[in-house]
Amino acid sequence: MEKKLQWLTEMSKAAETAKAENKFIFLDFFNPN
Amino acid sequence: MDTVTYPQEKVIDFITDGMVPLRVAADHPLASGYDVTWTPALLVIDSEGKEYHRVVGFLPDDEFVPAILLGIGKAFFNKNEFSKALEKFEEIMTSYPASDSAAEAIFMAGVSGYKNSNDPMPLKKSYEYLAEKHPDSLWTKRAYPYRLLD
Repeated sequence: MEKKLQWLTEMSKAAETAKAENKFIFLDFFNPN
Repeated sequence: MDTVTYPQEKVIDFITDGMVPLRVAADHPLASGYDVTWTPALLVIDSEGKEYHRVVGFLPDDEFVPAILLGIGKAFFNKNEFSKALEKFEEIMTSYPASDSAAEAIFMAGVSGYKNSNDPMPLKKSYEYLAEKHPDSLWTKRAYPYRLLD
């Protein structure tokens, strides 16, 4: 199966995960149009 | 980014293994909190939301990993974790020496080496290395005073 990036979409969840896993967040602001 | 960079396996592995990927539309209220006015805007932030690095505009896959590694290095540097910062900058120098992030990584490796040891020699070496590998870079000009250190 083809690999695909699994994005989080909520800051609170990303912050919680980053804290638990001691990682930085890669935040991509994209154009929705 | 969606058609060229993000589908690449090396990009997926890099983000998945070392970071927490978060994707937010630029019309979301979070975007105005980070003063985002153009996309793509790619940020390295910590769990408190503090920003350490930003790239605005498209990055091809061969520039993406070193550009974001540079951001992780800067994040460690700004948290006074200089040996971890040095590790990231040296990874760019070793694995991505031809990337557009390489010159800044050499500069930052010199500064991190100095902050980590209080020895000015890493600064001088960073200038010498920059002068040899990236003679026309702005980072070589910024490191120019370090040639006088001994």
